[in-house]
Amino acid sequence: MRPKVVGTRVRPLDWDAKTAGTARYAADARPEGTLVGRILRSPYPHARIVRLDVDRASRVPGVRAVVTHRDLAPGVVYEHSGEPYSDRPPLAVDRVAYVGQEVAAVAADTAEAAERALRLIDVRYRRLRPVLSTAAALAARATRVRRREGGDNVALAVSGVWGSAELARSRSTVTVGGSFDYPRVTHACMEPNTTLAWWHDDRLELWTSTQASHFVVHELARVLGLRLDQVVCRDVAVGGGFGSKSKVSEHEAIAGLLSMRSGRPVLVELTRAEEISATKPRHAFRTTMRAHADDTGRIRWFEAEVDVDNGAFNHYGPSVMRAGIKQIGSLYRPDAVSWSGRLIDTNLTPGGQFRGYGAPQTALAIECLVDELAERTGIDPIEFRIRNANEPGSVAPAGARIGSARLVECLESVRELIGWDEHRRDRHPSRGLGVAVGVHASGSYAYPGGNVSAAGIDVTSAGEVVVRFGGSDAGTGQRTILGQIAAEVLDVPIGRVQVIMNDWDEAPPDMGAWSSRGTHMGGHAVKRAAEAMAERLRALGAEKLGTEDVRLCGGRVEAAGAAVDIGELVALAPESADGRLRIDTDYLEERMEPYWTGIPNPNISPSYTFAAHAVQVEVDEDTGEIRILDYVAAHDIGRAIHPGMVEGQIIGGVVQGLGAVLGENLIYEGGRVVNASYLHYPLPRSTTAPSIRAVLIEGPEEAGPYDAKSVGEMSIVPPAPAVLNAVYDAVGIRFHSLPLTPDVVLRALAEKRGAPRRRHHLFRRPGRWQIELFRRLYPLGMHAILHRFGTSFARRRPPRPVRRVVTPASVPELTAALAGEPPGEVAVVGAGTDLTTQRAQGLANPHTLVSVTAVTALRRLHARAGGVEIGAAVTLTELARWARDRIPMLADAVETIASAQIRDVATVGGNLAQAKRCWFFRNGFDCYKRGGATCPCYAVTGDHRFHHAAVDAHRCQAVTPSDLATVFAALDATVRVGDRHVPIGGLYRGPGELRIGPGEFIESVSLPEPGPERRGVFEKLRLWDGDFAVVSLALDVGLDAEGRWHRPRIVYGALAPVPWRPAATERALDGRRPTETELTTLIEREFERRAHPLSGTAWKLDAAAGLLRRAARRLNGDTPEGGDDDA
Amino acid sequence: MRIRVDGDIVEDPLADQGDSLLAVLRRGGRTAPKAACGQGECGACTVLLGDRAVMSCVVLAAGVDAEVTTAAGLGADDLREAFADHVAFQCGFCTPGQIVRAEAVLREGVHRTREEIVRAMAGNVCRCTGYVQIVDAIVATMEKRRAEEPECDRR
Ligand code: FES
Ligand code: FES
Repeated sequence: MRPKVVGTRVRPLDWDAKTAGTARYAADARPEGTLVGRILRSPYPHARIVRLDVDRASRVPGVRAVVTHRDLAPGVVYEHSGEPYSDRPPLAVDRVAYVGQEVAAVAADTAEAAERALRLIDVRYRRLRPVLSTAAALAARATRVRRREGGDNVALAVSGVWGSAELARSRSTVTVGGSFDYPRVTHACMEPNTTLAWWHDDRLELWTSTQASHFVVHELARVLGLRLDQVVCRDVAVGGGFGSKSKVSEHEAIAGLLSMRSGRPVLVELTRAEEISATKPRHAFRTTMRAHADDTGRIRWFEAEVDVDNGAFNHYGPSVMRAGIKQIGSLYRPDAVSWSGRLIDTNLTPGGQFRGYGAPQTALAIECLVDELAERTGIDPIEFRIRNANEPGSVAPAGARIGSARLVECLESVRELIGWDEHRRDRHPSRGLGVAVGVHASGSYAYPGGNVSAAGIDVTSAGEVVVRFGGSDAGTGQRTILGQIAAEVLDVPIGRVQVIMNDWDEAPPDMGAWSSRGTHMGGHAVKRAAEAMAERLRALGAEKLGTEDVRLCGGRVEAAGAAVDIGELVALAPESADGRLRIDTDYLEERMEPYWTGIPNPNISPSYTFAAHAVQVEVDEDTGEIRILDYVAAHDIGRAIHPGMVEGQIIGGVVQGLGAVLGENLIYEGGRVVNASYLHYPLPRSTTAPSIRAVLIEGPEEAGPYDAKSVGEMSIVPPAPAVLNAVYDAVGIRFHSLPLTPDVVLRALAEKRGAPRRRHHLFRRPGRWQIELFRRLYPLGMHAILHRFGTSFARRRPPRPVRRVVTPASVPELTAALAGEPPGEVAVVGAGTDLTTQRAQGLANPHTLVSVTAVTALRRLHARAGGVEIGAAVTLTELARWARDRIPMLADAVETIASAQIRDVATVGGNLAQAKRCWFFRNGFDCYKRGGATCPCYAVTGDHRFHHAAVDAHRCQAVTPSDLATVFAALDATVRVGDRHVPIGGLYRGPGELRIGPGEFIESVSLPEPGPERRGVFEKLRLWDGDFAVVSLALDVGLDAEGRWHRPRIVYGALAPVPWRPAATERALDGRRPTETELTTLIEREFERRAHPLSGTAWKLDAAAGLLRRAARRLNGDTPEGGDDDA
Repeated sequence: MRIRVDGDIVEDPLADQGDSLLAVLRRGGRTAPKAACGQGECGACTVLLGDRAVMSCVVLAAGVDAEVTTAAGLGADDLREAFADHVAFQCGFCTPGQIVRAEAVLREGVHRTREEIVRAMAGNVCRCTGYVQIVDAIVATMEKRRAEEPECDRR
């Protein structure tokens, strides 16, 4: 019989609440008297705790509990991977091993009291030498991250061979190899980790964002010394998981402990900064691999060494490493796979579970090398993979017993849909195609109990069906899928089905959503329970209708000529209670073999899913940007229970995978995450890859419920190698690491071209000597001294409430409001967008805000003789709208700033006055500008590739972030500050720092009437759509009929501390119609003479030259005969 | 302070005059706007202020002078249904913000290309869906509303 509900696109069961915003997430419904929980974290990557005193903190009014490790049983650690790997205490005991480790926690009536108490906890640390990379961990005489038997920093070393290496070697004729790095990336779930815990009536009740209450219940019972039935998780909506919440995190136990100590409900919500810097990211892998094939293009042998950055605690590192290695032994049909792996301890945030679980990391190596093998054997990359594809009914080297396998169909499908053959025939410069494939399990017997599930079904006397399932849906759609299966089996309309999840008071336990087990295990479990219920209902119906010949249909039991609603049958069943007929059943998956019992090469999963992805990219050789032009992902999913949700899992996984290729990467300085904000962590946006097609390759799979196989993790495996292969196809460079940010691409392109290194002739530039000296001294100890000792004198601004907001209506009132107020105490705000952010970042704490939004004079945008005057309170949207037909360059520039929502409120004055975006300054480092002269500029030795200067920097390496400043400078703007009219070039005295005195404010910006022949172009290189400029360029020239440039103004943003004009180039171009070569030569000459880049900002000069060429091309596009290029 | 939210009044003592609109809305029990970044970078807190979609986490509550509409009070049932039919959400945490932003875009006009919709939504992060289905849902709603426009308004 064809399924009726399964396989259809029903509305998600939770659609109404989720689209209206009324679905209940963990933080949404707080019982009366809920306290605010806050966590004190280690500021050091490695230190001994020599004193921990919470006395003063406990006495802060409003504080109800302060907890440390002393509130837990001595020696207690989480179970995690189990003995001998369990090593992490819920709160630090005598040592901290990474920045962000939990040391103590506070519950208080208000956030302010909680934060005050945190500041009053007296912790003294004795710093120990930290191990900040795997290389440092393996170095001779490295500090030990942990005391362990072997004495080195290797938590676990494994090795083995699957198949016959002898045979494989003898058959191999072609070999390729390399080392591939997959960095640390963060899940960035949109809902930060949140737990509301309430200890009452001898039980701990939790509303927590988890994918698996199983682990929360078990681990909390263990570390808090409770029985399992004393911990219960309620059914809440969960704002994304991607693996991060598939095991216990760290906030649940802390919230629970705080509630047990205070006797009150406690809400712990991580901030976005904590979420990015203190939760466990994907494990970074270095996979060193050799791949061998024979002349016919058959893969014979993989040899792989895998080094995994474990971070400071084991968590699930051992199994992530094994799963990554298993990927190598599960894909294709080599004769042998030789492998080894080391799990290496470092003083960085511990790695955690992340969608794909090791597979994306090793697949990067496999699929890039397979591409090379195809090239070396002269076979088309898709054809090569088809020849080596896994076959149905085969056994993979690592033990996977493959049931259905449609990898060939996946490859054929992407070949056709992306236009593989046509694109490879008609090549387009800088564009390329790439393909990659992968395999993934549907569930894994990785722990005892991993092969079982259970479910319950109720039928109510109203005829409603309630599915009860003990796992959790963090956004995968499992709730709807389980409902569909119940509706299918019972033949009831989906509208009568409700699904309760996660709550073990209601549902029998399930281990939760991890290892892509949700559909397989949960699907079977619910199917079985529903089948039992169907049988019972039919029996009851038969009794009632007096015939054995009955069937379920449309919510009724039907017989010839008679029918009864299933609700009416409830009362007839003697076992019914409270108007409900309940059935609970277990499900045992017999196809799975356990990981840990010594079975060689166990078949850990009941079915295996395959996918092929193809991508077309364009590499911008001027800026290093990679654009995703087209993407097709074909998945062998067995059959979709809900096709729309399967497509969503595919597309969502692809985009997450692309994020890791195009920019995502946690960046550390001294063990501390530098880019712990969305501003500095470039997530994909709607514009990143707008064209992605998901293709479902369907067919039978005997193991699956309704033939279904897994999908959620599979989709994140191929994107990275697919893009790397496409980039190679486009520009001929084989990259071996992620992410491919513009700096990486531009540097590689320059190297390939053999571009000479710029010489900046510093010995002839005495003005730069002092800075050069500083830069040289920094790595020689100056940085260390300033960091270690100088920062203890750092100026800090404790948060405090704003007492007053003044809203003057006129300029004189505004002036009066500011008069006599000391700077720092009062802030002039437009919309206040940057001020709100700066307060959160601890950069500002004014007690009075003076809002300019009501000053009508400042909201005017009016044309006057000889130009236009733009009031400081004009919004960016208003400015863009006005400029669109008048000064297109200005409108273009404005539309690259932030998002439409921000532009609608942000003002011109606010944009010009915003503080620098340096990630050290913004993200809490006690840097020179934040903390004062005794503090170091962290950018000198830290990662400074994007937001720092290549020209003119002084002790602070930051740049002015305002794009308006750049474009206004090109338009020759004047800024009015009180009675002064300041040319915009003179407005800034430093990066994002205005030359205006106390009591002064920006009133307006005047632009002179542009001559009729003036043309302008704005260009900007950025890391994500809405980001600040990495480099920007505003070019404004007088263009004559012959295409010659007159009095050009070239202004670079984000290249120097303030908007910067290459004056010599401007002069040389006056009256010329430059070719691209000429432009490049001129600007390069000026860069050599005037730039003074840091090692990591030199590439920005390449990008700056690229932007100038691009701008010139656009200008020329405006004229009928553009400049010829002699290049 | 008092503000109108979804037709009701929300009152708040505003002990900290620098509090954001989002803080006031959530204290007032409004769950539709979400706190995901708190710094104006993700759009999860998007609400209508009058007819403008704004990021409430970086809007000063003290300066609010217009009615606030959250996803819960938006209406726009056709758009919400399109989100359901296109599976334009997974975890749903970004969804109220996406829907408010999309509704503001559609109210500005229903004659846009798919590409323009893609660009107009760039301020709203979704970590789950990969955006394609979100854009599908908005485009489908736009086309439907366009078809329902009185003849004389059509271009
Ligand atoms: S929470 Fe407001 S923009 Fe992210
Ligand atoms: S649906 Fe989860 S973030 Fe958008």
